[in-house]
Amino acid sequence: MSLLQEEREIILNNEYVDSFDFAEVAEFVTNASKDLFISHHFKNQKKMLVQPRGGFPTYKKQFALYEFFVDANVDVLPLTIDSNTRLNDYATSKKMLRLSEENDVDMLNGYPLVNHGYRTTRKMITHFNKPVSLRHGTPDARLLIETAIASGIFEIEGGPITYLLPYSKNFPLDKAFLYWKYVERVCANYSKLNEPINRESFGPLTATLVPPSITIVIQLLEMLLSLEEGVKSFSVSFAQQGSMNQDIVTGAVLKKLAKHYAAEINCADAAINLVYHQWMGAFPMNKNYAEQLISISTVIASMVGADKIITKTREEASGIPTKEANAKTVANTQYSLGILNGLPNVVDEEEEEILTLEVKAIMEAVFNDPADTLWRKVFNSIKNGVIDVPFSPHIINHNNMITVRDANKNIRIIKRGNVPIPDRCYAYEKSQCNLTKDTTDIVNDIIHDIGIMQ
Amino acid sequence: MKVVTGVVGNDIHVVANRLIDLSLQARGFEVFNLGVNTYLEEFFDAVIETGAEVLLISSLNGEAEGWGREVQLLKAKYKKLDDVIMMIGGNLVVGTGNADDIIPRYKGYGFDIVCHQVDLNTGLDSLEVMIKERQLAVGKN
Repeated sequence: MSLLQEEREIILNNEYVDSFDFAEVAEFVTNASKDLFISHHFKNQKKMLVQPRGGFPTYKKQFALYEFFVDANVDVLPLTIDSNTRLNDYATSKKMLRLSEENDVDMLNGYPLVNHGYRTTRKMITHFNKPVSLRHGTPDARLLIETAIASGIFEIEGGPITYLLPYSKNFPLDKAFLYWKYVERVCANYSKLNEPINRESFGPLTATLVPPSITIVIQLLEMLLSLEEGVKSFSVSFAQQGSMNQDIVTGAVLKKLAKHYAAEINCADAAINLVYHQWMGAFPMNKNYAEQLISISTVIASMVGADKIITKTREEASGIPTKEANAKTVANTQYSLGILNGLPNVVDEEEEEILTLEVKAIMEAVFNDPADTLWRKVFNSIKNGVIDVPFSPHIINHNNMITVRDANKNIRIIKRGNVPIPDRCYAYEKSQCNLTKDTTDIVNDIIHDIGIMQ
Repeated sequence: MKVVTGVVGNDIHVVANRLIDLSLQARGFEVFNLGVNTYLEEFFDAVIETGAEVLLISSLNGEAEGWGREVQLLKAKYKKLDDVIMMIGGNLVVGTGNADDIIPRYKGYGFDIVCHQVDLNTGLDSLEVMIKERQLAVGKN
C-alpha cells in the first residue's frame, strides 16, 4: 500500500465518518456525469461562467438555495462550508447542525459537509447535475476534500498560502503546505478516472490593498505546487482592485505568466483558467449602490476576459444574504454578460512590462532559495519577507510592505520591505504617488483607500 | 516610549491594528505589536517583558467587554503594572451602545483612556496628553 493510501485510511477512519468505501467512491467518480465537472464546462463553454456564494447548515435549506440558483440560470453552484468544519471542529458543527435542524434557526455560517457525509450530499449534487465549487478556508482540508469529491464536488478552492495568510494568526504554515500536498495528490489521482478535478486558488487574499505583483506571485506558486503533484486543471484568480486599467493589466500578466511557468515545469498540458471576484472589500450599505458596484464588476470581468465570475449580493454590507437576493444577483449578472458585446481590446504595455518585471523578480528570488523542494522555498520566502501580504493577520507575515492608491485608484507600493521589487519598478510605482505626505496623512489615505466603494 | 498593542480575544480584524502600529511609530513610540487574537495574559506578559509604559488594547467585534471584566483581577496578580497607562479603543460593545455609559464602565474595569468609536488620531492625541500630564505630575513631586 502506498504511503498516501495509508494516510488516507487514517484520515477517513474518523468517528465523524460513516465507513468510507474507497472502491465505491472511485467507481462513482469514474461514471459521474460530465456535467458535474467544471473542467468539462471550461473546455466546452464559450461564455463566462457565473458562480454565486452560499452555504446553509441544513440539507433542506441548501437544497432550496440550489433551486433558486438553478431558476436564476446559474452555471456553477457553490458549497460554502461553516467555520467550525474549517477548523476541524466536527463535534461543534455536529451539535450546531442538530440545533439548526430542530429549531429552524441557522446556527452555522455554512454547510457542515463532513457531518452530512458524502452519501447524503451526493444525492443533492447529482440531483441538480451542475458543477459544484467547494468554498471553505481550511488549513487542514484532508477529510473535507475526500468527503467533497465522494459527494460529486469536482472543484476545490483554496491552497496552503491563500487559505492561511488571510485567515489565521498562528496555524503553522509548514503544516499547511503538507496538508495541501495531500489534497493535490488526491485531486490528481481522481483526475485520472474521468474529467480532471479543478483546483482553484483564492486570489483576493486579504482583499485590502494587496498589490497585483503579490497576488500574481502567490497565484503562480499555488498553481505550480498543484501542477507538480499532477493536477491537470487549475484556476488562478484575483478580485476587483479598484482601477479598471490595473485589473485588465493584472489579468493579462497573470494569464501570460501562468502559461509560462506551467511550461517551465513541463505542465503545459494542464488547463489554466482565470477567475474574477466581484469587489471583495467593504461594500456600500445602500443596496442600490451595491447593485451598481456589482454590475461594474461584471463589466470589468468581461474586459479582463475571465472564464468565471464569482458574485456578491446587494446585501453584502449587512450580513449573510437571503437566497432571494443571492439568486437575483446571478440573474442580473447573466443579463449583464448577455448585453456586454463588442468590448474594446485595451492593452497598457508600460504597466504590463512593469508588473511582469516585478513578478519575475519575486519568482526568481523564491526559486533561488536554497531549500530542496518548492514548498520549502515558498515557506522560506514568506518567512523572510520576500513575499509580504498587506494586512495579513498571520505572525509569519512581515507586514513591512506599504501600499496606497494613486490618483487613478491603482494600488501602488510605496514601501517594499524585503520584497525584491526591482529598483526601476519601485521608482515607477512611487512616481505615481504623492510622497510628500507624513505617516499620519498616509494612514488617513489608507483608511480612505480601503473604503473607496462605500 | 514603549507601547504594547494588539486586538483582544478571538477577534481577527487586522486592518486597524496595522494602522495603529504605523501611527504610533509615526509619533515616535517604540511599538510591540502582538497582532490580532491576543489574550489578556499575553498583553500583561508582554508589558512586563518589554518594560512598556503604555498598553493599548483594541477591539472591533465587541467582545472586549467580556475581557474587560477580567482586567482588575488579572492585573492584581502582576506586580509593577500600577504605573502603566491602560488604554482601550475601537468598537467596545456588541450591537449599539452609548459612549456615556460605556466609558465609565470601562474606567471601572481599570482603563485610563477609553475610546469608543473615536477617530484614531483623536484617540492617540488623548494618549499623548495623558503622558504629558503624568510627566508633569512626576516633575512636581
